[in-house]
Amino acid sequence: MLLFVEQLVNGCALGSLYALFAVGFGLVFATLGILNAAHGTYASWAAIAALAAVQHLGAPFPLAVAAGVVAGGLLALLVDQIAFQPLRGRGGPAKEGGMLGALITSIAFWIMLDSLAGFATGQQSLNFPADSYPARMLHLGALPLPSMQLVTIAAMLLATAGIHALVRHSRFGAAMRAVGWNGAAAALGGVNPRVVIVVTAFLAGATSGLAGVLGGISTQNVSFTLGEGLMLKGFAAVVVGGYDDVRGAAIAGVALGILEVMSAQYLSTSLRDGITYALLLGFLLLRPRGLFGRAAFLRA
Amino acid sequence: MHMLRAALAAGMLATAPAWADGLAAGTYKIGFITENTGPIAFAGLSYDHGAQLAAAEISASGYMGAGTGLALVEKESASEPARAIQDMHQFIADRTVLATSCCILSGVVKSLTPIVLGAKIPLVVFGATAPGLPHPPLIYSVTILPGPKDTATAQRAADIIKPKTAAWFVAADNDAFKARMAAAQQAVEAMGVKTAGVVSVLSSDTDFTAPATQAMGLSPDMILIYTTQTPAEGIITALRSRGYDHPIVGNDVLSPQSVVQKMGKTVAGVPFPISFSAALAQTPEAKKFVGDYTARFGAAPDIYSAQGYAAVYMIAQAMKSLSGTPTRETLAAALAEVKQIDHNVYGGEIVTDGQAATQGTLIVAWQPDGTLAPWPAP
Amino acid sequence: MLADLWAAYQSSVGFAMVNVFFALSTYAVLSAGVLSFASVSYAAFGGFIGAQLVLNTGISPLLALPVSAVAGALLAYAVALLFLRLDGHWMALASLALVLMTRVVVLNAPTLTGGVNGLSLPVDLSLATLTVLLLLLMLVFHRLSGSWYGIAVRAVREDPAVAASLGMPARRLQTIAFVISGAVGGAGGMLLAAMLQFISPDTYFINIAFTMIAAVVLGGSYHWAGAVAGAFVFTALPVVMQAVLPQIQDVANGAALLAIMVFLPRGLIDPRAWRLRHAR
Repeated sequence: MLLFVEQLVNGCALGSLYALFAVGFGLVFATLGILNAAHGTYASWAAIAALAAVQHLGAPFPLAVAAGVVAGGLLALLVDQIAFQPLRGRGGPAKEGGMLGALITSIAFWIMLDSLAGFATGQQSLNFPADSYPARMLHLGALPLPSMQLVTIAAMLLATAGIHALVRHSRFGAAMRAVGWNGAAAALGGVNPRVVIVVTAFLAGATSGLAGVLGGISTQNVSFTLGEGLMLKGFAAVVVGGYDDVRGAAIAGVALGILEVMSAQYLSTSLRDGITYALLLGFLLLRPRGLFGRAAFLRA
Repeated sequence: MHMLRAALAAGMLATAPAWADGLAAGTYKIGFITENTGPIAFAGLSYDHGAQLAAAEISASGYMGAGTGLALVEKESASEPARAIQDMHQFIADRTVLATSCCILSGVVKSLTPIVLGAKIPLVVFGATAPGLPHPPLIYSVTILPGPKDTATAQRAADIIKPKTAAWFVAADNDAFKARMAAAQQAVEAMGVKTAGVVSVLSSDTDFTAPATQAMGLSPDMILIYTTQTPAEGIITALRSRGYDHPIVGNDVLSPQSVVQKMGKTVAGVPFPISFSAALAQTPEAKKFVGDYTARFGAAPDIYSAQGYAAVYMIAQAMKSLSGTPTRETLAAALAEVKQIDHNVYGGEIVTDGQAATQGTLIVAWQPDGTLAPWPAP
Repeated sequence: MLADLWAAYQSSVGFAMVNVFFALSTYAVLSAGVLSFASVSYAAFGGFIGAQLVLNTGISPLLALPVSAVAGALLAYAVALLFLRLDGHWMALASLALVLMTRVVVLNAPTLTGGVNGLSLPVDLSLATLTVLLLLLMLVFHRLSGSWYGIAVRAVREDPAVAASLGMPARRLQTIAFVISGAVGGAGGMLLAAMLQFISPDTYFINIAFTMIAAVVLGGSYHWAGAVAGAFVFTALPVVMQAVLPQIQDVANGAALLAIMVFLPRGLIDPRAWRLRHAR
């Protein structure tokens, strides 16, 4: 029983990383209509930036996290302005032309940023010094609770709640949804789509960056492989959770983390990924709008 | 540049009779497929650096004869079979390339094997660990196969620690590690140690908290790890940070200096077998290798550097035995005659059926201060 | 000298030709307005089935090729039945999920695929054969683009609602596009297996998915010749960068891709640009 609870906590912490990643990925997909292959590299670069802040500036943990988050956001903004902005309002049929071109330019950035991240870490997998983050093991009775896991879960809950509140319950969020439906109509309604794009790109990069820093610390792996690992699972969370509601992506991310840990513990590791992706396919076919998806869907 | 100048100068000094006996003067090319980018670039760089050092040394010292030198022609593959095949075809087409060297992944070697055999160009494999890759007289391997050393280490650890039960970590998607673990497990079970359980991880995994929790749930007296480097580091860190205080036994992936730089005290005291270590270099060749390598690349060489170094020296040794102008055919025949690699950093390296090997098993562990010491402490 | 140059780069030309198969497989569905990565899965299916056939019966890989194509087409038909109900964005995500699943299936079906060990396939595929196959394939796509089917799928891509009102059933046409894509992808998978002579779970994975879509869009997704040009350019790019800028070849690849897309968003081959020039 204790083992089950321990693994449940492990699964929640792991899933929180997937969730954070999925929230940002889904946000860009829903609002900007971009399938962003470079989204994982933001996580790797955020972790590298946070590590640099610790090593060169001696930044304490909260500042290092902040440095990583801001770096992730700025990088996403940079990529958006160089790779996506020139394509907006150009290219073939609106529904696919923009998405296709942006997919390719995001692949271009994925290749470049991964390669540069390899150079930045000297092709090594680096880690955060043991005294630079909360490493204490707390105990709840017999249950060991690593403080980093608690920090990760808390960060995920805060970020998800914050973004959900912004998207659903603020004027700005209404503008974001308007851009998601139809950029031209949003502009007519007095919303500046440019501002929405910039803020969305930054937020997405920042959440991916948060996942990268926390993941880099808890898995002791700061390298370009960090983002790629998150990408494959975070993507699954977006599909299961649905991209038009951040709560869905968050819940799906956590659920995938728990499922992954439990299937390795009680079934088999080699089937673990198979179970994840089978579930993914099942969701796609049976509930193709995700957990919180709306049945009605307008075709742009 | 200075390599070329040395070759020229020596060539001018050595007058006509030199090529009547011994290798004709000149700089000979080896096609070297690098893996300096991609998922295993951390090891790829070491192989490459080791090979570069060997080629420079051989040229500067005239190892193959007066006025001779070796130059590496490098092409990148990022460990992808398709790119390695294209690189190999480019080497084959360049008639001045006499031999080639490549490959950390066994799958890439398998893709290149038919091409190399068809084109009849010698290939020395420097890193792939699957048994059975060599095909003399064309394909050789200087990888020190880790299997037998793992089994010896596990037995020695069981003998000293005397555990009642043991848990095993294995990379479930890596056949080489599965076979290594199975052999070690069988040997240790034969000593009366019960298997508490086997925990599988995948090579691309990054989170090891859950597998560590799973292993600790089995309450073993000893844990043995048969995975690639990143998972092995992650598993040890997760086990120790969750408070596992019984012995852990690793494998040769823990040997690079970068592992202890990264993990510090966490990896201290974990025994693993080693065939080469910069910290324990004893022979004059090994000491010079460590000194020159450190001066040139700013970091101590690891087991991968040693294997890249050995690949080039094996080719050089075969070249040295030839007279006149060498061809791929005569070089292949000469490689088949190499029964031991004379210039090596292991204190002895024999070649049997195209496969290099070292003798004995040296078991070591990192110390809290970052140095390496024999295990158990004498 | 020229012979040496040819010998050095003939395998690159071979890989470029195989990549044309993948690019045309992706183009086949894209020309009907569907972005799908599933060509990787057809390639894996065709590749492993073809390889097993050659290994078990000793027949020539050319005879196995039609079997691979049929296998790919059947899988594509099943995918079309299941996935075409989804909206465009979801379809793209779903096909990506299928690619991820493909690797897991390949890993866990060792009797067909050799599992983690992979399969060695010692066959010899000459460049001349490959060229003939490629020319045949291009002829098929040329004929298709001028046929009723070709015109109808273009209409479906531009506006499904209008196409439907003209008596062009979008779903049926897209299903046909999937089957074509599956056949071409399955054959491409077999050819890749013959080129590599060794296939493993990593052979057919995300890299190919992104390579083929990038090749199509780079070359121009509005004409089949775009996929052909894109595959050649995309295969040549790393070879050229390796020769010119070996230190930063990956960064240079990415930058070149980015520059082409920003300055030529409709790709290298753009029939609309031709028409505009003729109209002038």
